[in-house]
Amino acid sequence: MRSPTIRSPALLKVVAIVVTVGFAFPAGYLVWRNFTFHSDPLVVLFSQRTQGPLLRTLRLAVLVSASTAVLGTALAWLTIRCDIPLKRMWQALLPLPLVFPTFIGAAALIRTLNPGGLLSDWLDNLGLVWDVEMRGLFGAWLALTLFTYPYVYLPVAARLRRLPGSAEETARLLGDSPLTVIRRVVLPQMATAISAGTLLVFLYAISDFGAVQLMRYDTLSRAIYTTRLNNQPVSMALSVILLVLAAVVVLVERGATRRYEHPAPVRSRSPVIYRLGRAKPLAVAFLVGAVALALLGPMASLADWAIDGIRLESSGGRDLLVGWEDVWSPTWNTTYGSILAAVVSVALVLPAAYLVVRHRSRIGTVANAVIVSAFALPGILIGLALLFWTLKTDAGSHLRNTLVLLVFAYMVRFGGQTMRTSQVAVAAVSSRLTDAARTLGARWARRFRSLELPLMAPGLLAGGGLVMLSVMKELPITLLIAPFDFPTLTTKAFNSIEEAFVAEAGIWSGVLVVLSGVLTWLFIVRRADHFD
Amino acid sequence: MSVADSAAPLLSVEGVYKSFGATEVLVDFNLTLHAGEMLSLLGPSGCGKTTLLRLIAGLEQADQGKVVLDGNPVDGHRSWIRPEDRQVGMVFQDWALFPHLDVAGNVGYGVPRRQRIAEVAKTLELVNLPGMQDRTPDTLSGGQQQRVALARAIAPKPKVLLLDEPFSNLDAALRREVRTEVRELLRDADMTAVFVTHDREEALVLGDRVAVMDAGRIVQTGSPSEVYHHPATPWVAAFVGAVSMYPAEAAGAIAETDFGPVPLLEPRQGPVEVAVRPEDVELRAAEGGAATHTVEHFEFQGADAVVTVANPDGIRLHVRVSGTRSFSPGDWVAPSYAGPPAVAFDRG
Repeated sequence: MRSPTIRSPALLKVVAIVVTVGFAFPAGYLVWRNFTFHSDPLVVLFSQRTQGPLLRTLRLAVLVSASTAVLGTALAWLTIRCDIPLKRMWQALLPLPLVFPTFIGAAALIRTLNPGGLLSDWLDNLGLVWDVEMRGLFGAWLALTLFTYPYVYLPVAARLRRLPGSAEETARLLGDSPLTVIRRVVLPQMATAISAGTLLVFLYAISDFGAVQLMRYDTLSRAIYTTRLNNQPVSMALSVILLVLAAVVVLVERGATRRYEHPAPVRSRSPVIYRLGRAKPLAVAFLVGAVALALLGPMASLADWAIDGIRLESSGGRDLLVGWEDVWSPTWNTTYGSILAAVVSVALVLPAAYLVVRHRSRIGTVANAVIVSAFALPGILIGLALLFWTLKTDAGSHLRNTLVLLVFAYMVRFGGQTMRTSQVAVAAVSSRLTDAARTLGARWARRFRSLELPLMAPGLLAGGGLVMLSVMKELPITLLIAPFDFPTLTTKAFNSIEEAFVAEAGIWSGVLVVLSGVLTWLFIVRRADHFD
Repeated sequence: MSVADSAAPLLSVEGVYKSFGATEVLVDFNLTLHAGEMLSLLGPSGCGKTTLLRLIAGLEQADQGKVVLDGNPVDGHRSWIRPEDRQVGMVFQDWALFPHLDVAGNVGYGVPRRQRIAEVAKTLELVNLPGMQDRTPDTLSGGQQQRVALARAIAPKPKVLLLDEPFSNLDAALRREVRTEVRELLRDADMTAVFVTHDREEALVLGDRVAVMDAGRIVQTGSPSEVYHHPATPWVAAFVGAVSMYPAEAAGAIAETDFGPVPLLEPRQGPVEVAVRPEDVELRAAEGGAATHTVEHFEFQGADAVVTVANPDGIRLHVRVSGTRSFSPGDWVAPSYAGPPAVAFDRG
């Protein structure tokens, strides 16, 4: 069947172009600013002050990528393809560390594992001494590994679930041993899922601010944050380096995926299950360890903080700095802000998705590339660019301290997540259906309302849910440009942790984790098949 | 037929050209359709049938030429009526039912809100699905989905109904049943309709008139029996039914073949090829001088059987015989012509 020769509407193109310019604006402003700001940008770019943070960023990102690739793949393999008891439970639990923003996870690790923390208290009772300090490279590496491995686990698990068992059975019939089958047949088919997940982790690691800030490991993003007020030239130069780094990663990713053809979505019989035999207890211990470190430990320490604080207050000790009525406003702000960002992102990315899928327009292709690439832009850069823009220009000053600017920043940061789900949603409305509606006399508005929107709803909702979840956990943008009278759970929690008000930190973090837990459950765990 | 050449046609397609890139899909295409008429458009896949339907519906725009519907130009010089304003109904090949709406929602989609409930009930009655309003498309059988698609298209009372291979998604047994039903139903509703199909039997059964299409043009139009018994070209002869093109010497109203005389529709002289339908030949087992052909192949089909025989030069003739008879390869036989006057073509 031929595609209809209906031209793409001008309005769609205009919206797509404006939105694309918006997505490109922060990065463009950053580069432009850097080269007009002071006389000699190149000297700063290649100075000692920038080399150290760059090397630390790379070291951390490489280590975290390697460890998450191994951890995520191993967990996916064990829970999908091995005869592990309670499979469903493990599959539901393992993506859940995504509920922790890395700074909360890092704080919880410090609380649990540092000397003087929960673990050493407990070991003291047994007469053992624990003196591994959660700090610097080791601390940041551990925190990022534990809280970002789901980015590898999810796509690999989805791939493993859909690989047809017939290929592996054929290899067995042709004389391969189980281990050889894994090496020759399964691993090559998993490779693209592993590398896609690992690249996401790499991007996450170079842009992370929360974990490195708490672990006091001076990467690019932390250096940008600390120099933003008193040494702007350096802050700007560091930003450009980080920007280039992110761009290189995206280009590498593009180059890598171009050669890869998406396998046909074969929904075959259940995949081949491998017997662990005597290694089973070891495997179960590994799973328990992972879940304990990445999920239960942090949960326990958050609860411990909050309960400690409440007990202290009720027993007449230190007063809590949080009244229960104060919890409501940041909770509402977080919810409201993330819903707003999700709706705006979905609505504004949709025209570009239409152009790509329905009209195969060149504008659509460019818009797609820009919007998706913006996802690689570290939040701290978007926050910094917009902060400077509102401080240094007349046009920007009107938006200083406004919710509009914050929602715009969130959209640039996370809107790319909705591009793929939106495209799938648009593609779900076959042109035959709109043709049928046209011959029945329905005009554009009625077709959109009665046909396209209801059919696209699940896909749009999925994309919006991902944006909501990301915005809820977002730290650097919120710290830099949220209006003063718009405290959110992340800023409250971060400030409490930094100022060592542990009881308050526990309460803020607890509320945030519950909220993001609900969304993670709805939009990630339940849709785990969609992440390949 | 009630149709006749009464007044102006309800639909006319005049000199239409349509290309997709370098591919010419419709070339100087002409077609007229009168009110109440049912036209089968028969052609091999890729001959432009579907494009023609989409063009009449307004889902495609002609490069050149015009389309006139009920006296109003809907496509052509400077005039272009959008599909939603044409009142042309269409049944799609895959039915294109709206998956998120129930049967009532689908059938009532094109009906003004106030008449919806009554009109849906009436139309469902008509297509023999009374009381199915609340079912969703995924709970219906193929035949039921097909009827819902038909009901949806006729509920708004379109001026013309277009059906794009409407039965191709049904299995063979169901197809025969449904197509008779649909034919009766459309005739009762006095619907003007164009069916597109690549199935010759379907085309002959459904149409008052059959238009045979090839490579973007109409090769022949006529009543089903006209097209079958009096094909305009050897290609049409072969496309509308099994046929053997057999060499003969024409002498007026008779052509002489090596298995005897064949009467001709129109007098011819000299060497020709006659179009011989398998059911128009009788076959006798024969010995010695009487036998002109040998059996090459015997295919039992149930009620009847098809025997392929060949003369000593290897020229083949297909013969339909009763399924109770049996031949073996190598048997000597004597065919003879026993049908109505046949068409003769120049020997090519």
